[in-house]
Amino acid sequence: MSNNRVTRRQFLNYTLTGVGGFMAAGMLMPMVRFAVDPVLQKKEGGDFILTKQKISELTEVPVKVDFTFEQVDAWYKSNVTNTAWVYKEGEEVIALSPVCKHLGCTVNWEGDPEHKNQFFCPCHAGRYEKNGDNIKGTPPLGPLDEFEVKEKDGLLMIGNTRANTLV
Amino acid sequence: MFWIGKDVDVFLTQKEFIDTAIVPLAVMDGSPIGMKQSASAAEFLMSLTAFVEQQFKGRIMVTPPFTYTNSMPKKNFIEAIDDELKSAGFKYIFYMTSDHSWTSETPELTVLWLPSIPLGDMDQSVKQSVLSDQLRQVVPMLSAKWAGQ
Repeated sequence: MSNNRVTRRQFLNYTLTGVGGFMAAGMLMPMVRFAVDPVLQKKEGGDFILTKQKISELTEVPVKVDFTFEQVDAWYKSNVTNTAWVYKEGEEVIALSPVCKHLGCTVNWEGDPEHKNQFFCPCHAGRYEKNGDNIKGTPPLGPLDEFEVKEKDGLLMIGNTRANTLV
Repeated sequence: MFWIGKDVDVFLTQKEFIDTAIVPLAVMDGSPIGMKQSASAAEFLMSLTAFVEQQFKGRIMVTPPFTYTNSMPKKNFIEAIDDELKSAGFKYIFYMTSDHSWTSETPELTVLWLPSIPLGDMDQSVKQSVLSDQLRQVVPMLSAKWAGQ
């Protein structure tokens, strides 16, 4: 025992290194945590919302499907109801966003009696083909967006919008 | 469009397309009998104007509501608002309200009067269909003005 006596100098060295180490760790840990934070975040974007629309009841004529989700705007929570125009192309289910690419009004299927089989925007008479392609000569500059779709127990689920893949 | 910074930026560059303003007119009544009624009328009015905005975002700007009491000289106020919006560049200005007194008081303004429906206790989906029905009443009035140029 007496051979391994710790000198005063050694004791102070160990203590200071130990305390210094804790302090350095205390400073560095939050920095590391902040740096890797984006990797640890849960992804909320990919959520699909269940609708009441049965897939088997869809036809090739677009129908309006409402879906509601909770939107948090700072401290203000609200239930937002969105719609989609949904139809079947063969066996594939297609859901188009009703938001006009001109200035964001809501388009309607056959909203103008003079133009059958087209989406119509009541604000500035913009028109789209059934696949969402904007008709040249009307105000919109791009095709309607498309929703990602999924099926669950025979019911339609609607996800995020993406650029139109049909045009 | 709403009266918010982002939408006003769009308005300033797209004035030829966004030519219509909607001003909600909400009465504030503090009396024990009138308070509930005026509150649910305001709730209905705000929901309905927000729904109109969603459908006609690219042509209509919904302004902040004009709130008044019955003792205020509201007619003078609304004329000032009308002038202000005209000078901002709006061609069509609609006033939406559940207060019946406007229809007789301001014949020169386009007042859309809608009887208020208490939405407070309704389920989300019921509320949605009630508002859709009300919207169907409003759309022909808007289109008529727009078509009349």
